[in-house]
Amino acid sequence: MADRRQTRNQIRGPQSALTDFLASNNISAAQISEDYQRRVREAERTAVADQATNSTEQNDPEGTSESPEQRKKRKRKETAALAKIKQSKEFARRKSRRTGEPGDDDDSMARDILSEQSRPMPGQLENCEICSKRFTVTPYSKTGPNGGLLCAKCSKDQANDDKKPKVKKAGPRIGRRQNQSNLLDGNAQQGASTLVESCIRKVADNINDIEEFGDLPSSLLHRLSQILSKRRALTPRTLNLFLRRELRSIDIYDTAKLETDDFQKIFTFMPDLNNVNLRFASQLKDRVLDYTMDRELKIEHLQIDSANLVSDTCWQRLLVKLGPDLKTLKLSNLDTSFNDETVGVMSRCCPGLRRLKLKQCWKMGDGSLQALGLLPSLEHLSLDFIQETDVEKLLDTIGQVGPRLRTLSLEGFPTADDRILEGIHNHCQHLTKLRFTSNSNCTDRIFSKLFTDWSNPALEFVDLSSTRDVDNANADGPADAIGLASQGFVALMNHSGRALQKLNISSCRHISREAFEEAFADDRVYPKLRELDVSFHTIMDDYLIGRIFRCCPSLTKLIAFACFNVQEARVPVGVALIGGLKAQDRIVVEGDQP
Amino acid sequence: MDSTPGSSEYVTLVSGDGFEFIVPRSTACVSGTIRRMLDPSSRFSEAVTGRCVLENMSGLVLEKVCEYLCYNLKNKNQTNVPDMEIPPELCLELLMAADYLDT
Repeated sequence: MADRRQTRNQIRGPQSALTDFLASNNISAAQISEDYQRRVREAERTAVADQATNSTEQNDPEGTSESPEQRKKRKRKETAALAKIKQSKEFARRKSRRTGEPGDDDDSMARDILSEQSRPMPGQLENCEICSKRFTVTPYSKTGPNGGLLCAKCSKDQANDDKKPKVKKAGPRIGRRQNQSNLLDGNAQQGASTLVESCIRKVADNINDIEEFGDLPSSLLHRLSQILSKRRALTPRTLNLFLRRELRSIDIYDTAKLETDDFQKIFTFMPDLNNVNLRFASQLKDRVLDYTMDRELKIEHLQIDSANLVSDTCWQRLLVKLGPDLKTLKLSNLDTSFNDETVGVMSRCCPGLRRLKLKQCWKMGDGSLQALGLLPSLEHLSLDFIQETDVEKLLDTIGQVGPRLRTLSLEGFPTADDRILEGIHNHCQHLTKLRFTSNSNCTDRIFSKLFTDWSNPALEFVDLSSTRDVDNANADGPADAIGLASQGFVALMNHSGRALQKLNISSCRHISREAFEEAFADDRVYPKLRELDVSFHTIMDDYLIGRIFRCCPSLTKLIAFACFNVQEARVPVGVALIGGLKAQDRIVVEGDQP
Repeated sequence: MDSTPGSSEYVTLVSGDGFEFIVPRSTACVSGTIRRMLDPSSRFSEAVTGRCVLENMSGLVLEKVCEYLCYNLKNKNQTNVPDMEIPPELCLELLMAADYLDT
């Protein structure tokens, strides 16, 4: 060094203005640096001496010389910084992630964070922790495994490594959306779906690549039709796959995309048809049905929905022609035809009719109701009227067909009153299915009477939804309860509980908590109940839901919309609880039953 | 079932074109049809020999069926199980096979 200072005046490289200025004032940069080095060495020596005597300074990372006041100040600062870090979110997050690992006390973790915070800012240079290359720090530089920074290449590599295991971890799980969709379908089964079901879905996915189904059995075709209809994928092309000469049955749940000629094709290709089920048949016209009559088809089961281009005269011709064979007739959503006169023709020409469903047919009125009573072999009757009807007429019909009925479904009779239920009690002795909904006239007393000492055996299917008093000013209803309420409900469960498979009591909002507690008491078991709908019962809570699960070992579907007190119910494995406040969170099912 | 003499832990499924698949008995019994074939009380030859010949299935289809049988067993008590991957060109044949095997 001294040599270089002496030669300084002979050969000079480029010098900065500052060095020139300092030299002119007899200040040497080298001298300053030498003094500094000496001071550092001295400080190190004293620090080593200090460490020997003072163990509290073991962790001093800098090891530079500082006066006791300075050290105290720095310590205080550091302690404050550490305390601040310990309260930060980042610290809590790391701590929760690292709990259980040995040797990770709060202090060392806080110190880690502190050292990370004091690392180089973007724009400065740093050596990469992995490959030791010098690189410029950017905001995107990643942290290495030991807390140092990584160069761009190593950052990228590590990002890739991070990604891979994550994908694996997600694994083969279906999404929450699909899960909720399944739940809404009442499907809470465990394990993989059957191979048949997966294959059918796969076939439906690839329906446009399929030339023909080969000799797929009828049951599978039916399921395929259901799936394709739900996806609205039944087009004239896909329809062709379902037209097979040897089959006697066709079920197309969505024919909205078919043209008139496609309907005709169905009857041309399948001359042995016995069961016809066409929904949303908007393009079904008179000429197709006339053609069917010409072909002398022996249709026994006919279900047609929304065929609004078919005239009344055509319906009458069809009923006259098919009448002697017809065993099932289900018509729905007919707005412009099927009037009282046509129903009259039906009741005269179809003596063998066992199953009749007429829903949302706008033209039907009292005359139709009267005519229905004349059907001699009716066993299943489902009615949903648009027009208001006379209670006496309905009562007469029940009196006439009631004794043979196995199914009675009455919707859309808002005027029906206690006499109807009394009529059902007196005339029906073979019912297995009873539906009586949307009524606010019948009293709880008469519901209770219906199910008390009824000669009818226990029902398997009961739907009494929306039978309640509707008065906004008086939410609790009159003292003498309207609709299925406490008495009626207890009587129903006493009468039919042992055989019930499906029960819908949604919106029967005058049923009290005591009634539920009585019906679902410890000693009660409803061995066959599979589906229960208790929507809009505000008194339902976790306890009652738990009681229901306990009393219904076969339950697979519990619908509880707008039951605001059902919040943390423990749902047994294999049961779909639909509705409720936190539907999304309650996917996890817990084993509660053997 | 294991206590019955002659019922070993593994059974053999044979396709129409001669491919043999040796699978654990519990796996094979996921299929209702094979379960009834192998039921010792049935005294079917399949139950005695532990060998089911499925004439109407090709090796390709039976391989996929075996894959499903394992898949089903693996995911037995789990929720939210997705469908197994099925190649589209195989799905109709596999559907017929699945219908026959009652799986």
